[in-house]
Amino acid sequence: MDTVGWWSLIRFAHVAGAALWVGGQLALSLVILPLARHLLAPEAKDTFTAAAGRRFGMLTGAVFLPVQLATGLAMAWHKGITWGSLAEPGYGRTFATKLALFVVVMLAAAGHGIAHSKGRTDLARSLAVVSLVGSLGVVLLATALPAT
Amino acid sequence: MTSIASGPTSTGDARYPSRFRESGVKARHLRAHVLVVAWLGLALLAVAAQDSLSVSRWLAVHMFLLGAVTTAILIWSEHFAVALLHARVPDERWGTARLATANIAVAGLLIGVWSATPVLTAVFAVLLVAAATAHLVMLVRLGRGALGGRLKPIVSYYRAATAALIAGTLLGWLLSNGGAGPDRYAGLRLAHLHVTLLGWIGLPVLGTLFMLWPTVLGVRMKERTTKVSRWVLALTGSGLLVAVTALALGWRWPAVAGLALYAEGVALAVNLFVRTVRGHRPVSAAAVWMLAAATCWLLVAVAADLALLASRSLTDAQSGIDTLMPVLLIGFVAQILIGALTYLLPVVLAGGPQDREAVRAVLERGWLPRLVVLNTGILLAALPLPGPATTTGVLLAALAGAAFLGLALAVLARSGRSPEKGTSHNPALWGTTAGVALTVLAVLVANSGGDPGTGTSASGTSHAATGDVRTVAVTLAHMRISPARVEVAPGTALRLKVTNDDAQRHDLKVENGPATPMLGKGDTRVLDLGTVTDDREAWCTLPGHRAAGMSMDIVVKDGSTDSPDGHSGHTTTATDGALDLGADFSPGWQARDAELAPAPGGRLHKLDLHAGHTTVEVAPGVRQQMWTFGGTAPGPTLRGRVGDVFEITLVNDGKEMGHGIDFHAGSLAPDRPMRTLQPGERLVYRFRAERAGAWLYHCSTAPMLQHMGNGMYGAVVIDPPGLPKVDREYLLVSSELYLGTPGSTAQVTKMRQGDPDAWTFNGVANQYAKQPLKAKTGERARFWVVAAGPTDGIAFHIVGTVFDTVYKEGTHLLKPGDAGGAQVLDLAPAQGGFVETTFPEAGHYAFVDHDMRHAEAGAHGMVEVTD
Repeated sequence: MDTVGWWSLIRFAHVAGAALWVGGQLALSLVILPLARHLLAPEAKDTFTAAAGRRFGMLTGAVFLPVQLATGLAMAWHKGITWGSLAEPGYGRTFATKLALFVVVMLAAAGHGIAHSKGRTDLARSLAVVSLVGSLGVVLLATALPAT
Repeated sequence: MTSIASGPTSTGDARYPSRFRESGVKARHLRAHVLVVAWLGLALLAVAAQDSLSVSRWLAVHMFLLGAVTTAILIWSEHFAVALLHARVPDERWGTARLATANIAVAGLLIGVWSATPVLTAVFAVLLVAAATAHLVMLVRLGRGALGGRLKPIVSYYRAATAALIAGTLLGWLLSNGGAGPDRYAGLRLAHLHVTLLGWIGLPVLGTLFMLWPTVLGVRMKERTTKVSRWVLALTGSGLLVAVTALALGWRWPAVAGLALYAEGVALAVNLFVRTVRGHRPVSAAAVWMLAAATCWLLVAVAADLALLASRSLTDAQSGIDTLMPVLLIGFVAQILIGALTYLLPVVLAGGPQDREAVRAVLERGWLPRLVVLNTGILLAALPLPGPATTTGVLLAALAGAAFLGLALAVLARSGRSPEKGTSHNPALWGTTAGVALTVLAVLVANSGGDPGTGTSASGTSHAATGDVRTVAVTLAHMRISPARVEVAPGTALRLKVTNDDAQRHDLKVENGPATPMLGKGDTRVLDLGTVTDDREAWCTLPGHRAAGMSMDIVVKDGSTDSPDGHSGHTTTATDGALDLGADFSPGWQARDAELAPAPGGRLHKLDLHAGHTTVEVAPGVRQQMWTFGGTAPGPTLRGRVGDVFEITLVNDGKEMGHGIDFHAGSLAPDRPMRTLQPGERLVYRFRAERAGAWLYHCSTAPMLQHMGNGMYGAVVIDPPGLPKVDREYLLVSSELYLGTPGSTAQVTKMRQGDPDAWTFNGVANQYAKQPLKAKTGERARFWVVAAGPTDGIAFHIVGTVFDTVYKEGTHLLKPGDAGGAQVLDLAPAQGGFVETTFPEAGHYAFVDHDMRHAEAGAHGMVEVTD
């Protein structure tokens, strides 16, 4: 239990969840949707992209988000992070910024869904890319945090 | 009359705007103004980030001036030059290339300075100079063969201004890489400020106003305008040249004279502008009022600048001139930009007269409240009011600026939309840009204040392990950090109590560690570094300050048993304020070479020795007039073997004081050779060294306490027969150091009471602590020591070694074969000898006068032994 303990399992769930979520977004926007646009008839394409988006959104809300929040909270508690320490330069501030960026990314993703349902395609696509690039930023900040 | 002056009043469809109304030119203007607005937005962001990012104030100023204003001047000076010279529109592609190069260069410069990468800064400074030179060449070539209108002289303003941009860029680059050094920093910085603000920005604004002011007012230009504009350029241009050159060289009065010329030129122009005003209803009241207010602020700022320079030294004037910055930046530059754009944007962006009125209506929305808020803000920021008032002022000004920015954006978006719809939208690009911007912002916020891992929160609990917490007072002043070196034992928890004593703002950032926020004068912050295990550096993060010398070293030293500065819990600084031995020596300072060369061949040694007065650095940053033999204290070292003859020609180079010499190494009747030589006299002192030893020589003129206490001593080394060769031989002359005017009552009192300011080896306190002697493991080293006094002897000891050889006053007290060892070579004043030892392993071996009062006040050095 020394090297692979319970805490490493929790950390694994957190990292794997992030990787799958970012990877899923990348796969959707770089592979699946462009192909759908090329290969499918306009009507089928619209239905397909809407369905793909909805399913990914559901996965996010039902699996990724709860897993990330639960594991993240557990690790923060384990490390002994307090509200006060979030403002301090160094670990606290980096961590707080990462959380803030994560919130922004989630808002962008939610905005993407809303914009899409209202038929504002351009805005929806912009927000999707914001969410993707922003989530890479979250990963960058996460790698800047020292090992817990 | 040219069309420029009469245009907008009559038909509203003047000739010159039509020359630019082809869609190509319009599109270019649009693109270029998007750049201007983008830079303005970034500058506002940087202002907002002022507390979390130390360079953000610098960034805000440069994003505004070097980004937005420079782009605007490049566009408009070309635009107006074409109109005024009636020249053909130059090749658009080249214009775009110049503008793009300049913007890339500015972005590169900002990144270079922000990330403190000198190579980047240098490359982009060169690129900016290249873009400016190309602009200058374009302006000069436009003038050739062009018809030239009545207002042709205005183009010369643009040419002079572009030359000023080149000079400003070079000065700025010099400041950023520290080429200035701490002494000339103030002068060069002032030169940079003046050449950029009054030259690159002031000159084209003044020139353009000659044309723009009547146009905006809707009146005819005065007949005298051409003549006056020539005069004003001659006055402002030459005045600025003189002022900037003088400032760069640190000459105050020529700078004041040059600035007075400049002020006179501005006053002359303002006089003409005032006379141009008539009762007419102006074309754009908003533009008129803003241009007028801006010009007033320029006049106010130049007058205040002149008064400051005339009444204070350059270094002191700096802080006063810094408080003028809001006036110049917001009151003059920003306001003139807003005023000019209010009038000009409708002219270039609109499709027809109706459209123009519509655009103008948008830009003039709420102009009166904006004008009042902006100028109230500037007034609050400029007046010496308490902090909250200043902050309110800056906020008000920023609010008014942001309001205009919003209107300008609306106008630009409106014009950008109208020609073709939808093609410019690229969701992926917009999304990527927004995402990257968010991420960069997040990284900036995360990095502000300190690095992960070494920050206070991460290591906050680890102090308890070692128990040693050491607090060192650190002062920021005169572009220096004092002490410049802090030595701590490994495992010490270090706290730096940082105080800014300088008139300008500074901060302190520790490598891989925390940083203070920007500190105003008198502000103090405590930086908790946690447990220090590695050597670290700390510096002021303001652009150019580190390069100019504002850095300090935190050195981890094994706490050797009696190293005078290895103990935790104490600072290395002199706390009584007399001498700061932890400070830095001046740049370029070199320790006196302590290596002793072997005796030269031949039995007769001849030497010309000049007695005189020399000013030298005797302690870190402290210069003192010394009385010297051969220009140094101690004087030159003589070395020979038993039986050698020394023939010294002593010349008194002094102007008012008699000197003599007394060599302890030779025996003779003192009467003639040791007599006092009056200034200009000389004598030949000849002696045979009959006996071996480390001998003193010194001035033989009374009062000897003063002559020796002020530096007139040296060493003669006569090798004992059969002296074995060693790997290293050093000579250290120990003495006291009395600061103050030589011979003054205060200094002589200290000598009489035996209360020196410091004790030294070879004349300079702490010199071998700063530049350690070098040796290799296992090498045998011989240290010759002569105690020159005048009052104190020495107990010479090398930490971490045992002497196996001691030779004192002509005899061996200990030889390598003996069973015993020695720890100290004790010498009474004027005695001499040597010790020998081998360094067992690599490390730092401090050598000290084991009278710790002496050691802690300068009489210690270091031998750095490497494998």
